[in-house]
Amino acid sequence: MSLEEQQSDDPAELESGVSRGDELADLLGDLVVGREEHLNAPGLVIRPDEVQDALFKLRDEAGFDHLSCVTAQEYEDRYESIYHLTKFDDRTDEVSVVVPTSKDNPVSQSAEPVFRTADWHEREAYDLVGIQYEDHPDLRRILLPDTWQGHPLGLDYDQDRPQIATLREHANPLEEDHRAGDSNTMYINIGPHHPATHGVLHVETVVDGEQVVDLDSDIGYLHRCEEQMCQQGTYRHQIMPYPDRWDYISAGLLNEWAYARTAEDLADIEVPEYAQIIRTMGAELCRIASHMIALGTFALDVYGDFTAIFMYAMRDREIVQNILEDLTGQRMMFNYFRLGGVVWDLPEPREEFFEKIRDFIDELPQALEEYHDMITSNEILQARTVGTGVLPPEVAKSYGATGPVARGSGIDYDLRRDDSYGYYDELDWDVVVEDGCDNFSRLLVRMREVEESAKIIQQCVDLLEDWPEDERNIQANVPRTLKPEEDTEIYRAVEGAKGELGIYIRADGTDKPARFKIRSPCFSNLQTLPEMSEGEYIPDMIASLGSLDIVLGEVDR
Amino acid sequence: MSLQAVLPDTISGLLGLEGILGDVVGGLVGAFLIANIMLIMTAFAGPWAKRKITAAFGDRIAVNRIGPFGLLTIVTDAVRLLSKELIVPEGVDRPAWDLAPMVIPFSALLGFAVIPMGNGIQLADPETGLAFAFAAASIASLGIVMTGYASNNKFSLIGALRAVASNIAYEIPLVVTAASVVIFAGSLRMSEIVAVQAEPLLSVAGVTIPTWFAFVNPFAFALFIIANLAEVGRNPFDIPEAPTEIVAGFQTEYSSVYFVLIYLGEFIHIFLGGAIAATLFLGGPAGPVLPGFVWFTIKIWAFFLFTQWARSAIPRLRVDQFLEIGWKGMLVLSFANLVLTAIIVGVIV
Repeated sequence: MSLEEQQSDDPAELESGVSRGDELADLLGDLVVGREEHLNAPGLVIRPDEVQDALFKLRDEAGFDHLSCVTAQEYEDRYESIYHLTKFDDRTDEVSVVVPTSKDNPVSQSAEPVFRTADWHEREAYDLVGIQYEDHPDLRRILLPDTWQGHPLGLDYDQDRPQIATLREHANPLEEDHRAGDSNTMYINIGPHHPATHGVLHVETVVDGEQVVDLDSDIGYLHRCEEQMCQQGTYRHQIMPYPDRWDYISAGLLNEWAYARTAEDLADIEVPEYAQIIRTMGAELCRIASHMIALGTFALDVYGDFTAIFMYAMRDREIVQNILEDLTGQRMMFNYFRLGGVVWDLPEPREEFFEKIRDFIDELPQALEEYHDMITSNEILQARTVGTGVLPPEVAKSYGATGPVARGSGIDYDLRRDDSYGYYDELDWDVVVEDGCDNFSRLLVRMREVEESAKIIQQCVDLLEDWPEDERNIQANVPRTLKPEEDTEIYRAVEGAKGELGIYIRADGTDKPARFKIRSPCFSNLQTLPEMSEGEYIPDMIASLGSLDIVLGEVDR
Repeated sequence: MSLQAVLPDTISGLLGLEGILGDVVGGLVGAFLIANIMLIMTAFAGPWAKRKITAAFGDRIAVNRIGPFGLLTIVTDAVRLLSKELIVPEGVDRPAWDLAPMVIPFSALLGFAVIPMGNGIQLADPETGLAFAFAAASIASLGIVMTGYASNNKFSLIGALRAVASNIAYEIPLVVTAASVVIFAGSLRMSEIVAVQAEPLLSVAGVTIPTWFAFVNPFAFALFIIANLAEVGRNPFDIPEAPTEIVAGFQTEYSSVYFVLIYLGEFIHIFLGGAIAATLFLGGPAGPVLPGFVWFTIKIWAFFLFTQWARSAIPRLRVDQFLEIGWKGMLVLSFANLVLTAIIVGVIV
């Protein structure tokens, strides 16, 4: 983009986008210095020193209360931060606030005072791209070590430059006893190797006796440059395997859908209905598998050992895994979706496959009954989880919490319904919302969502069984090489297992994306941990962390 | 049946030794025997039975590769654990750090000195037997404090503080509940407590039910078992270790032989808890048909099974909730039980 107006070539986008864009531009008045069209939303160009004014106005007067993602990127002539705004009540109403900054002084005003979630997103932008945010409370690197030289997603980044991060240069938390003056607090490292961090998360905690006074999550241990790797792959085939590796705990198909949806919208590919049903079924199977392990590990955090409930959850998850293995040929890294469809049809003999799914669905209520007996109706578990780790809805919204975490705080928000894709709007199911805002409601949301997913799968199986044999079209016609037009930009999200999994792509006319940005739900959800645990006991902090159900592979990407 | 000859006397009698020499040799051989009985039980319990039991609760199979039913795992585990490097972190407070892993198992073993195991297997039968058993068992807390303090690790410190808090909170209800049994039995001597329970309580259809205190006062029995569970630090009261919260609590820094010793101590402690419960409430080694020692073994293993069951099925309490139950619930109930028992015994007798 430049500061002049640009027009999209797609007449439909033009029609719907421009009117909304005009409205919002009128609202912001002089703050808007230019206009853009993204495929998903109108773009308003804002001066870097007026970001907060514009965002406050959009939030308070136009109701854009959800800062879904912050994308930062570097062009030949400028840096750019894009704030992807939308609404919890109306997900399809989107706007992109585009903030260009100059090359020699890349300073932009921080959005943190408006949306708390901007804290980490802007830190990431600073870390990977190199834009400075004025007014930011804590602009440190977030994914890379503090001693890292350069910004890897910047254009002039020198990959060959040696990176020496010695222990001495690093703040070594083990060195001193971290006692400040006369205070009675104690600094304690929970992680990166700790039984309850579900991966490599480092929570720098200050405790007063058993109570958490302050905590700071240190992430990035599992950063694998996923965004950059996707930027180096071609649209058609080379990107699809990567999403499996973000949320690797059995949410593979849900992640693949995020890329499939974004790229299909970008290249205007229509997916055959039959393939959409298969996708929907596969995705919901993944959701069940993912929620099962969330349930099991949450119980693990509260119970303290690999106890019965964890094993039961794993046992039932195993059945789902077998079904997914039959469908995709893989248990973890499925790589089953293709742009415009799926890689192959259901396994033969189909009757056997359907039978297997039906058996699982039939036995699921009994298994869930068992879980309810063992955990949700257990008085000790209730004493541990009810009223602990409280996350009020306004706070959750400000942090951009989505998925079961948001729905456990009474926010009725689910992309499958609110920004429908796939075959969801044709099926009969409900969005599960609990308004307890505590660890217990997040647990309940997941358990009830398993039931809803089972309902969806049941309907998909019914549809697939009766599908005429000569209409089983699993793949649309897609050009061998995809080259979306230069400067088309799109941000699309799907409802992943942990929440809103979004992808921003900017095309530059080649067969590879110029910028590929992943909006990870775990990243935003994990940000709420201090809100939930400060003032609580260590065990409650652990339980809250478990109830967030983070996967570090997706947090760090 | 009162005052059977204790084990050392039997041994010195068999060996034909008398006087001080007989006492010394008999005592040492007897202690060696009893310690080994308990160590063998622990060897079965730790690396094998615990895995099998937990697996059964979680729908798994567990060890079954080495030996029949995986029993030789005990041997391989012993070799494995003993051959590991003993890592001594910098800044630990020696010799406290080295002493603690010995204090913990030996305090628990010491308690078995006064436990009547049936068939005349009892090392000593002093008048204050019960008080001795509790005193010996409590020394373990000292060991835990030593581990936590000497480890120079914050998780260990938190674990040790939790252990102290839980011991204070639950030792009192434990001892007070045991005191209600003493009021019934009229003696602290273990053999007499067992003897009193041998009398018939009532006869139902030809089956005579003995006056085991678990039948006489089930309420006290329940209180005792709960306090005991807290005392041996098992779910829902495994606060001092709490693996998901504070890594491994007081034993975080221990590896290799020291780790084995601490674990050994914990298991012997569970058995000691079971043994005291069996002696006080379940008639000690008494039981039909089978010899006394077999019954005694069954009873303490039943308690072990119970701890593993609780571990598999019950969530852990938070530390403040745990202490609240101890001070506001268990303490009050145990004193109420004591006073009521005293009144009832006073009126009846």
